Amino acid sequence: MKSRKAQNRVGDALTYLVFLFALLFFGGPLLWLLSLSIRTQQEIFITSLRLIPENPTFENYTEVLYTAQFSVFLLNSLKLALAGSIGAIVVSAPAAYAFSRLTFRGNTLFLVGVLGLQMISPLVVVIPLYRYFDRLNLVDSHFSTAMVYIAILVPLATWMLKGFFDGVPPALDEAAMVDGCTRFGAFLRVSLPLILPGLTSTFVLTAILAWGEFVVPYVLLSEPSLFPISIGILNFQGNYASNSTNVLAAGGVLAMLPAIATFVILQRFIVRALTSGAIKG
Amino acid sequence: MTPATKRGFSPRALIGENRPTLWIAPLLTVVTLFYLYPAFEVLRYSITNASLLEPNYEYTLDTFTQVLSDPVLYKVLRTTAIFVVASIVLQLLLGLVIALAVNRATRRRLPGMVFMRSLVLSAWVMPGVVIGVVWAIVLNDADYGLANLLLGAVGLGSVPWLSTPSTALMSVVIANVWRGTAFSMILLYAGLQSVPEELYEAAEVDGARTLQSFWYITLPQLRPILMINIILITISTLNTFDMILPLTGGGPGQATEVLALRTYNVIFQNYSLAGGSVLAVVMLGIAMALTLIYQRLLRSGGSL
Repeated sequence: MKSRKAQNRVGDALTYLVFLFALLFFGGPLLWLLSLSIRTQQEIFITSLRLIPENPTFENYTEVLYTAQFSVFLLNSLKLALAGSIGAIVVSAPAAYAFSRLTFRGNTLFLVGVLGLQMISPLVVVIPLYRYFDRLNLVDSHFSTAMVYIAILVPLATWMLKGFFDGVPPALDEAAMVDGCTRFGAFLRVSLPLILPGLTSTFVLTAILAWGEFVVPYVLLSEPSLFPISIGILNFQGNYASNSTNVLAAGGVLAMLPAIATFVILQRFIVRALTSGAIKG
Repeated sequence: MTPATKRGFSPRALIGENRPTLWIAPLLTVVTLFYLYPAFEVLRYSITNASLLEPNYEYTLDTFTQVLSDPVLYKVLRTTAIFVVASIVLQLLLGLVIALAVNRATRRRLPGMVFMRSLVLSAWVMPGVVIGVVWAIVLNDADYGLANLLLGAVGLGSVPWLSTPSTALMSVVIANVWRGTAFSMILLYAGLQSVPEELYEAAEVDGARTLQSFWYITLPQLRPILMINIILITISTLNTFDMILPLTGGGPGQATEVLALRTYNVIFQNYSLAGGSVLAVVMLGIAMALTLIYQRLLRSGGSL
């Protein structure tokens, strides 16, 4: 039988072999995109695997930001993502509190129903809404688009926040109510501040999802100055000539950077929230 | 407030602070307007001949029979099934392998674990459209296509990733696995951490090898999470079409036109609101069935 030490060494080697594969498969495309985004037009077509070009340039970024209007798209995405995630939290927090604290008939059934909504594709929802908004003159409006974002994020936000409220002892609310707080006051001044880390992770996760949302704005917006980045980059890809892949790559980097940066900085919150939420249901 | 109004139209029993009504009213409003109403409308449109071009329509079952007897639907369903099944198998396998590595690295405090986890998750948080753009560049036939450059570097010929029907479907699966593996990894990693250490210790005392304890302890313990994972991957893959648009646009021909993309095309390219609604009803039906299975799994802890 092999010694314990030798076994560990084999295990460690295998672990790093998996890491190496993951590094290539997940990191490779991202590195390649970065590399293309700082190349000049001549250097896109070199048939070699060099990552750092001979004449690195940031011109692609200025071109995509200003000539291709990506600055407008990025700003629109930011607006919609913030409106969607803040709105979803405002709608979900009181409901999540009620599901966590109040006993009423149908509590569990209702909560499971909310989870079921998440299975419905936004595409299904947006088909009738397009017609409905069209008649109300609400197509091509950030307001109505943000309302749909809120609706789509509400099931996830409700489930996450309910889990966080469950972690706060109800005795704290009750103590505040004995001291003369209303229940709403206890919710606002006692429970909400106590789940601040949970609020943060809910906010970050819903904002990242909203940042990447595609089908809702694709159907509800037709005016280019209102497009979020996901639509902007799709249109740009459809119109660009293959010899400006460097500019497209710069656009891709700009479109993913906010989501990845937010995630990497705040991942401690999110990873925990994701795992506890999914396993508890 | 006088006692009279208290007993009047707003009985405490319904809207008091300890009753759920006011607390869940905003949620109820949003759900009714944006989920229940649209779902009902989709059902209603599916039994009409409504078109995006005409304001008027009639009730008829013809659209249903037309869509369901169209051979294209079965081609689309077949493509969707391949897309979903291949994604499930590859995401679970890859997710499990990476989760095992990350778990081992955590236990043995090997450096690089957090970096690895962040990298895999970065792919997951990217907008779907951007994922499609990235893979459209990586798999391109042109000189800047990374995949063919790599194949060339190890002396293999290039592959027409996006331009033939069978390779295009494979490419879409690869991009989807790239996106979704992180989710499986996170779930399975959490699952691995919840396996009681004593089980492994007992197995070791009994002389079990590493592979044996993986097969007889780890996998059975992960069973509930694997089942939940399968359902969640199915749902997210069924709803995917943002990534496919920049990658293949559903082509070549209709080789990568999955159900969600087909639904979109029928409505917004063919202007058939009724036809698209029939497909949306099919999607709703699948989602409902999966939700029921999911709830069962959650309640029973993994067995159907």
